[in-house]
Amino acid sequence: MKTPVVDFHAHVGRWGSFGMADDLETYLRVMDAAGVDISCINCIFYGEAHRNLDSVMPFVKKHPDRFVPVAYVTPRYLQDAIPELERAFGKLGARFLKLYPTYLGKPIDDPSYFPIFEWANDHGIVIMSHSSFFFEGDTLTMPRLFPALAKRFNKVRWVLGHSGNNMNGQAQAVAAARECDNIYLETCTSMAEAGTIEFLVNGAGEDRVLYGSDMPLLDARNQVGRIVTADISDEAKKKVLGLNAIKLLGLKNKS
Amino acid sequence: MGKVDLDFKPSVPVFDACITVGRRYDRYIRVDNVADTLATMDRAGVQRALAYTPHALDFDSVEGNSYLMEMIKGQPRLVPQFAVNPSFDDLPLMAKSMKQHGVRSLRIAPKFQRYPFREWVLGPFFDWLEANRTPVWVAAEEIDPSEFHATVSGRPGLRFVMSQVHFMHETWAVPLLMSLPNVSIEVSRMLQPNSFNKLIDAIGAERVMFGSRFPDSAMAPQLYYLHRSGLSQSQLQAVCAGNLGRLLGKG
Repeated sequence: MKTPVVDFHAHVGRWGSFGMADDLETYLRVMDAAGVDISCINCIFYGEAHRNLDSVMPFVKKHPDRFVPVAYVTPRYLQDAIPELERAFGKLGARFLKLYPTYLGKPIDDPSYFPIFEWANDHGIVIMSHSSFFFEGDTLTMPRLFPALAKRFNKVRWVLGHSGNNMNGQAQAVAAARECDNIYLETCTSMAEAGTIEFLVNGAGEDRVLYGSDMPLLDARNQVGRIVTADISDEAKKKVLGLNAIKLLGLKNKS
Repeated sequence: MGKVDLDFKPSVPVFDACITVGRRYDRYIRVDNVADTLATMDRAGVQRALAYTPHALDFDSVEGNSYLMEMIKGQPRLVPQFAVNPSFDDLPLMAKSMKQHGVRSLRIAPKFQRYPFREWVLGPFFDWLEANRTPVWVAAEEIDPSEFHATVSGRPGLRFVMSQVHFMHETWAVPLLMSLPNVSIEVSRMLQPNSFNKLIDAIGAERVMFGSRFPDSAMAPQLYYLHRSGLSQSQLQAVCAGNLGRLLGKG
């Protein structure tokens, strides 16, 4: 069956310790084999914000129909963050912002993030943050932190990358999405237990779940497989695989 | 536009090389009983599964293996795998129980159970395994690769299955397989790009076995990945069921 497939959570960059390589042709072959039309790609490996998006742009320029650029900034270098957001969204066509508080060592609701959130709120953009809650004490990106942010910065559409990662985090992620209409859940993980996709879709609603892969750390085929083999309706599968992302990001639906 | 198969079913018979059954003492899991496990197998297109219970690794082999047999009694689609702690268990008693229940494989956890994976600890156990032609599963997180290589290379007559190999083990897993022809791999956590093609290029399809790690992972996604990896039908048949059936003598 043909249906639009948008990978909301993908990367560029190389990470040899985990065998991660971002060779463009291999990337495209895997996307094709998985049935993925568009990958939203970010890079989070540099302290200089511009280097991250600069790593992304060659992919986008070569295949603008297959890759969507995603910005990345950190409050550690706040002096760079706002100018980079202006450049990313004003000039380079970034579609949303990725955040990774684990590298900062401070929780997602730390005030050091607020100037970035205020800018995002003023511009009504989408933010996807890593989210994870494996055990008590794993608190930097636990999903229960997000509702307060979603209410305070209510023009931002918030996406919880990994939906909290395992069952402990998923329960918080679904609760967060139920509490706030502007919170969405993204699916990729290497951790998720059986029944995860069903839990997210039944809990948050089929309109609020977004397919992601974590390419090229993880292969898109397994991650697509988690959606298509889930015990949910075909309509829900289509929404999760791409229709929700198309709507959220204002992409063209070529179907 | 993306071509995906919303009604995917495997095109070959499937024998899952890695599932667990039963409740956990320390956390909730979504599928914790045999009936729901079988229903999931039906939905995923999996005919048989090799099952163990974590209790047998976490606490006691004898109690855990007995608990496993109690749970799967009368369910021939669930093939029992016993856990063993070779530094603690009574091996003749274990052999008797395995024979009684027709068990053809074992699982060990050297790191968790705190014994060195060395000949000077495990020699009698290895002799016993070799005499009984019993393959042993060991999760990648339970392996020290240097120790494992040193020990297993001295025992070419034994068969090991490296299980639950994750990208955290990326740097050593395939080289280890390439250097030890008596080690196979169960692929429940091989989620990296082109995992199966790289693996089969490196060691051939004969030592690669589908497993799901259910219910800690969903059962069907790796089958979807396998079916979209461009494998030949014979490779797919071998990986999804044939290799495991042959290893267990249950073809």
